[in-house]
Amino acid sequence: MGQDTRTNDELDAKLKHYRLNRDEHKRIAGLLGREPQGVEWALFSAMWSEHCSYKSSRVHLKGIFNKSPRVLQSFGENAGVVDLGDGERVAFKIESHNHPSFIEPYQGAATGVGGILRDIFTMGARPVAVADYLCFGRPEADRMEKIVDGVVRGIGGYGNPVGVPTITGQTEFDSSYDKNVLCNAMAVGLFRPGEKVFLSKAKGVGNLVVYAGAKTGRDGVHGASMASESFGQDSEKKRPTIQIGDPFFEKLLIEACLEVMKQDLVVAIQDMGAAGLTSSSFEMASKGGVGFELHLDRVPLRDSSLTPEDILLSESQERMLMVVEPSKLKDVEKVFSHWGLDAVAIGEVVAKKTMTLLWKGEKLTEIDPELLTEHAPMYERPFEAWQPMHRVSDVSKVVSKATTGGKLTADAIEAQLLSSLSSPQGTSREFIYRQYDGHVGASTAADCHESVGALRLKDSGRGLGVVLGCRPQMMRLDAEAGGADAVAFPAIELAAKGFEALAVTDCLNFGNPERLPVMSSFVASLKGMNAVCRTLEAPIISGNVSFYNETEGRNITPTPSTGVVGIRPSVNAIPKSAFSRKGDKVYLLRWKLFTNNGVLGELAQDERRAFGDLTSEGALQSLKAAVETLRRLTCDDTGLVSSSRVVGKFGLAYALARMCLSGGSNGGRAGGLGLRVKAQALSGLKWSAQDTRDVAELLFSENSYEVVLASREDAAAFKSRVAAVAIEAKVASPEIVELGEVANQANGEQMLSFEAGEGLPRQLDIPVKRLRETYEAGWQKAFRLK
Amino acid sequence: MGKSRVGVIRFPGTNCDRDVFEAVEQSGAEAVWLWHGDQFDFKGFAALILPGGFSYGDYLRSGALAARAVAMQSVREAASHGTPILGICNGFQILCESGLLPGALSRNHGLRFIDAWVDLKKAGGKTTFGAALKVGDGIRIPIAHADGRYIIAEENLKGLRDNNQVWLEYVDNPNGSIANIAGVTNAAGNVAGLMPHPERAYHEWMGGSDGRKLLEIWK
Repeated sequence: MGQDTRTNDELDAKLKHYRLNRDEHKRIAGLLGREPQGVEWALFSAMWSEHCSYKSSRVHLKGIFNKSPRVLQSFGENAGVVDLGDGERVAFKIESHNHPSFIEPYQGAATGVGGILRDIFTMGARPVAVADYLCFGRPEADRMEKIVDGVVRGIGGYGNPVGVPTITGQTEFDSSYDKNVLCNAMAVGLFRPGEKVFLSKAKGVGNLVVYAGAKTGRDGVHGASMASESFGQDSEKKRPTIQIGDPFFEKLLIEACLEVMKQDLVVAIQDMGAAGLTSSSFEMASKGGVGFELHLDRVPLRDSSLTPEDILLSESQERMLMVVEPSKLKDVEKVFSHWGLDAVAIGEVVAKKTMTLLWKGEKLTEIDPELLTEHAPMYERPFEAWQPMHRVSDVSKVVSKATTGGKLTADAIEAQLLSSLSSPQGTSREFIYRQYDGHVGASTAADCHESVGALRLKDSGRGLGVVLGCRPQMMRLDAEAGGADAVAFPAIELAAKGFEALAVTDCLNFGNPERLPVMSSFVASLKGMNAVCRTLEAPIISGNVSFYNETEGRNITPTPSTGVVGIRPSVNAIPKSAFSRKGDKVYLLRWKLFTNNGVLGELAQDERRAFGDLTSEGALQSLKAAVETLRRLTCDDTGLVSSSRVVGKFGLAYALARMCLSGGSNGGRAGGLGLRVKAQALSGLKWSAQDTRDVAELLFSENSYEVVLASREDAAAFKSRVAAVAIEAKVASPEIVELGEVANQANGEQMLSFEAGEGLPRQLDIPVKRLRETYEAGWQKAFRLK
Repeated sequence: MGKSRVGVIRFPGTNCDRDVFEAVEQSGAEAVWLWHGDQFDFKGFAALILPGGFSYGDYLRSGALAARAVAMQSVREAASHGTPILGICNGFQILCESGLLPGALSRNHGLRFIDAWVDLKKAGGKTTFGAALKVGDGIRIPIAHADGRYIIAEENLKGLRDNNQVWLEYVDNPNGSIANIAGVTNAAGNVAGLMPHPERAYHEWMGGSDGRKLLEIWK
């Protein structure tokens, strides 16, 4: 004892290698009553990493709204589980794979998908959908083209073979991600009636601990602690800590695991994710209040030179740890061998709450698992109370240089709209979505071309909606409002397609929590998210925290990405995101809570300006009103509302342009229906009588929240329906602006037109064909990728 | 008379197996699982289907390893006895790799995976799958593949046409296939393969139901 730490220099070198600090060392020695020895260093390094222990965030995560009568499983397991009724349940979770995706884009993104899928089928749910939230740097940033290409190929390269459709996604570009991209993957799994939920809590003294799946290699050793550090210029050197995935193995593993669960052959199960065998075995034992005796020399190896420490820390992919009754081992082996996989007993469950790790008969350590799982340090990093930012007291001041300066003409509006459509922020993501299989599973009712992805549930015929959230431009404006919006915007998107939002998963991507502004924005955005979740009764049931998204001292935009899941009575007649039925009347429903100069303001390098708020009691009640009203208007299966779109980046002008571009899951490329926006509608966009903003400013400002709906009902009928629905939901009616009518044929082609009127000297006509070409060409303008 | 029995063959890595199984059942036939590692008696089957996916991880070449699987011996026997056999996507690749269908499927001309709805037209072929369609009829169903570019030696292409083996063509060629070919049959006409996925176009809520025109043959 003590020989490991002869001098302070040696101790510092050791701590650096294991990415622990002096206080943590002291804490470990105190818990053990002695100096750590041998593999214990590696155990503490992995389990006390930020990635595994949540040491900077736990204190704040405790306050998360995470329960509702529908929630069957919240935090603490591999994924959350929500009851859909009718015997159907879903498990879902979103997780980050940011650092690996920057260092080695293809493998980083691929194993991100693999890891999140394992979190789902570990619970006993068959994975049925994947969604990806990606934030990239500017196209011209160093290596960015390669990173975008690699990440997209990696997601497809893994998701496509395993046979899980990618049904929605969100992709953002900003300079704050130039050297630290975000790659968050969400997976959704389905339990059909009668299928059981499996947990990771080990039980039953004498039961076997069984290792299943791929063999262990050297990849990913120290991965968890790598992911918990800021980046420097030496990030390239971290390549050996990146895991390598094999989707073929994962596909076999899914089938084998679901089969042993169906035959009820396992007591508990957990995947070997971050910190591999260490975290899975220690967490399973700790949760069960039992110990394991593990023979590390029985772990199937890809490389016989691996040391016990390597085996404990390896993050080789496609591996599972199970607790199995001895009498059922033969049947488990049979199922795995049918699928060509190993299942090997490597130890057993013991009554004493001690992990005994053995190597060829030699005892490496005997340690209480809770020391690693429950006694990690918990830091209360300093933060400041949030103050609303960039607010103006007069809505007329929410303007952008891009739309002002006295050059307001129809031509200027047209130029602005076209440049928005072709900017990296506004251009088509078809390059990305085309590379993902969006339809395997034969359940996809709305794919990546729609603003909400949807699946048909086979047993009940109902629709399951999946959508991602978090608009980085809102986070850069104000972390609390941005956090609220990260839940509210996707919830409104779901409601506008007739889905009831049930629950939320989040991936809290932030910079270095040891920096005051970063920690302050973390606390503020959680507060905003929490407030909206509570109001909408949509709890946060799973997720992860990714800190240290900091490279060479620069922190990313605080980015709490979300995934929201909703339910709809059927998949028939889900409103399309583009105009789809000629002659329908187009309405703008408005709940005027918050407005800002948005992405356009950022591109013009304007001072950001915002008016209103999203987190006051009044604003929260309006949010609830929006969600309740919209869902009731769009959940029928007769197609009363044919199209809907929530107004987002680049404001109403951009939303209307996108609605002219049909391209839905099967819309074809040639189509597209125009719209002629009435003069009265344009003057009706002002927020109040005192609002002095001109038409261009109103068309491009980003307002929370506005939704465009196309309905077969005329104004009188539609307005009385909205009023009736609001009464039924016991909420206030929204303001309704009549915009025009779907289809606007002029000079032999479909046009998006804005009639001349106050502030617009002549009618503006833009051919839909031109909108489409501009929207599609934008990608090629930014990247050479085809 | 009971329902027609249709065998659905699963290889490790097949991922459209359950989708095809359900489509067959919805078409009024009885779907029966067949496992790659087992031989089977083809005589009890009205038809056999090889679904899409990534058999053996697409390692070596798409379909190359599956073409040598034990179950393929029974598929060969069935083929020579005239049993209708259909390969979808990876199943098409397997049938080409096993020599039961002419030509080969190579990497898409853009070198990327493509997921998209495509327009097809029936060009000919004697297969019972989609037999109700007339030559020139159009259907719209999705593709999802990285290795879908059909290739065949120029001199054999003429033979393919002369022998009425070109079954389906793309209206707007997505992957660089020679002569816009999306599906072919063997010389006898009982073995057919196509890259698009008819089981993914089975209900209007999926975006269209033209896939039924190819698979609903047992009523």
